[in-house]
Amino acid sequence: MLNHKVIITPNEVILDGKTLDHNEQGGALLTELYRTYVGDYPKFFKMDTLSKLGLVASELLLQAEGEPRFEAREDRAVVFFNRSASLQADTAYQATIQEPENFFPSPAAFVYTLPNIVTGEIAIRNKYYGETSFIVLPENDPKIMAQQLQLAFLDTMTQSILGGWLDCTDENHFEAHLFLIDKQQFDTIESSLL
Amino acid sequence: MGGKSMIVSVANNIISPLGMTTAENYAAVKAGKSELRRYEGHWDLPEPFVASLMQRDKVEQAFAALADNERYTFFEKMIILSAANALYQTHIDPTSDKVLFILSTTKGNVFLLDKRETGFPKERVLLGVAARQMTEFFHNPNTPIVVSNACISGVCAQIEAMRNLEGGRFDYVVTVGCDVQSAFIVSGFQSFKALSPEPCKPFDANRCGLNLGDAAATIIYTRKEKADENEWVACRGAIRNDANHISGPSRVGEGSYRALRYAIGAIDPDKIAFINTHGTATMYNDEMESVAIERAGLATVPVNGLKGYYGHTMGAAGILETILSMYAIDEHNILATKGFETLGVTHPLMLSNQNQTTDKRMFIKLLSGFGGCNAALLFAKGGAPC
Amino acid sequence: MDELIYTLKQQIIEALNLEDMKPEDIDENASLFGEGLGLDSIDALELIVLMEKNYGIKLQDPSQGKEIFKSVAVMADFIQKNRTK
Repeated sequence: MLNHKVIITPNEVILDGKTLDHNEQGGALLTELYRTYVGDYPKFFKMDTLSKLGLVASELLLQAEGEPRFEAREDRAVVFFNRSASLQADTAYQATIQEPENFFPSPAAFVYTLPNIVTGEIAIRNKYYGETSFIVLPENDPKIMAQQLQLAFLDTMTQSILGGWLDCTDENHFEAHLFLIDKQQFDTIESSLL
Repeated sequence: MGGKSMIVSVANNIISPLGMTTAENYAAVKAGKSELRRYEGHWDLPEPFVASLMQRDKVEQAFAALADNERYTFFEKMIILSAANALYQTHIDPTSDKVLFILSTTKGNVFLLDKRETGFPKERVLLGVAARQMTEFFHNPNTPIVVSNACISGVCAQIEAMRNLEGGRFDYVVTVGCDVQSAFIVSGFQSFKALSPEPCKPFDANRCGLNLGDAAATIIYTRKEKADENEWVACRGAIRNDANHISGPSRVGEGSYRALRYAIGAIDPDKIAFINTHGTATMYNDEMESVAIERAGLATVPVNGLKGYYGHTMGAAGILETILSMYAIDEHNILATKGFETLGVTHPLMLSNQNQTTDKRMFIKLLSGFGGCNAALLFAKGGAPC
Repeated sequence: MDELIYTLKQQIIEALNLEDMKPEDIDENASLFGEGLGLDSIDALELIVLMEKNYGIKLQDPSQGKEIFKSVAVMADFIQKNRTK
């Protein structure tokens, strides 16, 4: 059993097995979720799509968890996996340098051209000083993901993980399968994911 | 981590502008050499930059002995060559399902996003697909794992290797780190005003930014009951976040301090030969590291940084700098911090621009990167408890 | 000058993704960083790009930004005096 689980696709949001109502789709869905469930973090609008997706998905999970928020802690790791790394941000940055006559490299775009930035955004938002990691796989493989998450608990500081699959190919195409899991549930991660 | 078994390094390789083997690289660094130089009009970039770049024809010549040059990108040739060089020093059968490949990289084949690049399928820009070129080359049956944690990836990949060996599923992990420079990366760092117009000066009062560099490095680990006297053991590592800012390091060195504290554990700092820092020579990074080292109670431990020889080799840095630190201690040496002259950080650190001697047998590799991430990893030679 | 200030506010809102803000919401004399608009170091770098892209002004030394980016009014004044396009 996983503590809490959220799935976000361009046209569906499921939190702990329950479908959440929404009007928008694609990138606009992420903005709608931000406005409905967060609302007070304008940094959201500066983020690349991967970070926006990770931020709203983590907010839904943490609100479902219902524990006190924003208290500094080192015992929770943020460990994500995907296939596309930071492809959407990479493409956006490449557009700022593609044409020699319109060559204005954007620092705000460049900073998101690393997949682990989203783990940092979530750490900043929640004051998580623990491990943050991003692993890229050739394809979505729940078995490998479960194995690597189990191994992340070998860090004796880590007692829980906010983790899972977080992929984004462009502003309107993405998939989040995130969950919260405790060290005690170590042995059941794999069966829960499969 | 558990005291049951030890994670031991069995082979390594470095490919850089300073050489195609670890021995060539170590000799060059010991002699104070660097291939950092100024490039003007390179890749049609409007602004000049200083970097340590590979002579690509040299890589192609070496690669011709392995496979057809046309089939692989420059990045893929670098990782395959480096892994092959390390594997050939061993009797490891890479086709075994007991062998795992872990790749540390930030940008892989990112140059393929440029519309003018048409020589390879665009899919190869995906890091996992690029890593597959390597595992398929070696006929390895396992799915490669790519660690992409900005500039700390090289240490994260080694921590990931340790965990996978401790988990017992694999007997060997081939840990390869690589990034190759491109207009994409250089222009991005230029837009950040992070590049130095001259060879970088880590921790120096007059430091003014970093240089970028091409490199690939490989370290192969296995699990053993007890390490031999001359074998290197990866003891304990941690990854911690500053929870402060996505590009600026924490003023109080929060993540690095916490990672250092976990890595050193109960070890007496007096047993540590040196801390091999990130030392990029940006104003903020080096200052942050000095704060973190002081906070972790390690201010009396000698410190060095190797970016003055190679620039910042990104995904390769953590592995390349680990290997050179091992070779240095094997020779009772603390490598000089090239480019450093006058201390320019708040907390005094034990830095030198000359090679020093040591008889200690442990070191810590420290890194930090965008996304507020930091990593520290403790290494010990022989079977010393750690 | 008023027209330049208004245009500049629009350009800042767009370049820095200040969603939900309109030019009227920005006080041209208020500080852009810290207390005022609360911009950070990446925003400062993006303002350097904005000046180059729209006004042909190249800041070689990013520390110059500290003075120039004090407020929209100071920025507009600098642009008026130094613009090449």
